[in-house]
Amino acid sequence: MSGGAQYVVAAYAVIWFLVLAYVVVLAARSARIGRRLEAITRLLDRQEQRADPPDAPGDAP
Amino acid sequence: MTDTPARIPGERAALIWGVLATILVVVASIGVFLVAPGDADQGIVQRIFYFHVAIAIVSLVAFAVACVAGILFLRTRRERWDDVGEAAIRIGLLFSVLVVITGSIWAKASWGTWWVWSDPRLVTYLIVVLIYAAYFVLRSSAEDDRRMRYSAIYSIAGFASVPLSFYSVRVAESFVHPVVFTRGGANMPGSMLVWFVVSQAAILALFIALLEVELVGRRSERALRQLVLRLENP
Repeated sequence: MSGGAQYVVAAYAVIWFLVLAYVVVLAARSARIGRRLEAITRLLDRQEQRADPPDAPGDAP
Repeated sequence: MTDTPARIPGERAALIWGVLATILVVVASIGVFLVAPGDADQGIVQRIFYFHVAIAIVSLVAFAVACVAGILFLRTRRERWDDVGEAAIRIGLLFSVLVVITGSIWAKASWGTWWVWSDPRLVTYLIVVLIYAAYFVLRSSAEDDRRMRYSAIYSIAGFASVPLSFYSVRVAESFVHPVVFTRGGANMPGSMLVWFVVSQAAILALFIALLEVELVGRRSERALRQLVLRLENP
């Protein structure tokens, strides 16, 4: 590369690499929250099932 | 089955700003590299200017947002303003680091050196970066209400360094950093100015999108913490 083109490439590469890295960090945090939310939802489902067990066969009058 | 959790406020805004920022960044990049005329003096190296200056301006806007959020926090004591302040400084600091790195690359290409310690714009901007980096040290040293109060006060006090950096180059007599925007207007032809304005809009949209995403993340984390507390203490 000539005429300073390598400096332009380096400058824009730094900009987009750091911005992208920041977006990846934000996405990872969002995914972590999603996983925790899923775990809580599963826990709540189990609690609901325990509190209200399905009718066993032969229970019907 | 448990109902699907409600949408966190701001999710839609984050998405809209994210899409807008992406479109504007693509348009600005095309304009800067394929449409804008080359500079007769600096050649292709001058193309660093479009995003370098746009990011520098938005970094100072981010610190201004944090200052206003600090004032609003001290007046209302609402956690929301602490969130806005911290997120704005986090993004502002990222942008400031980008400005220092790209400026340094541009300096090497134009002046033949990575840094000029005698230039007031470079040195005062570096001081601004260090002041805002210290914000996170302060934040990690206190907890809960004290942390929010100290952070708000620091973000207001820290903002005093911003005009210092902005005007340093105008009051200094000798410097190497160019001043493009003066009271007389922009020192560039209209065909360059239009792509600078597009780049500025793109970086501003990127800042707002990142701020919205940061705020949605904080709201989600807080909602999650409250949910866990309710589950542990029914």
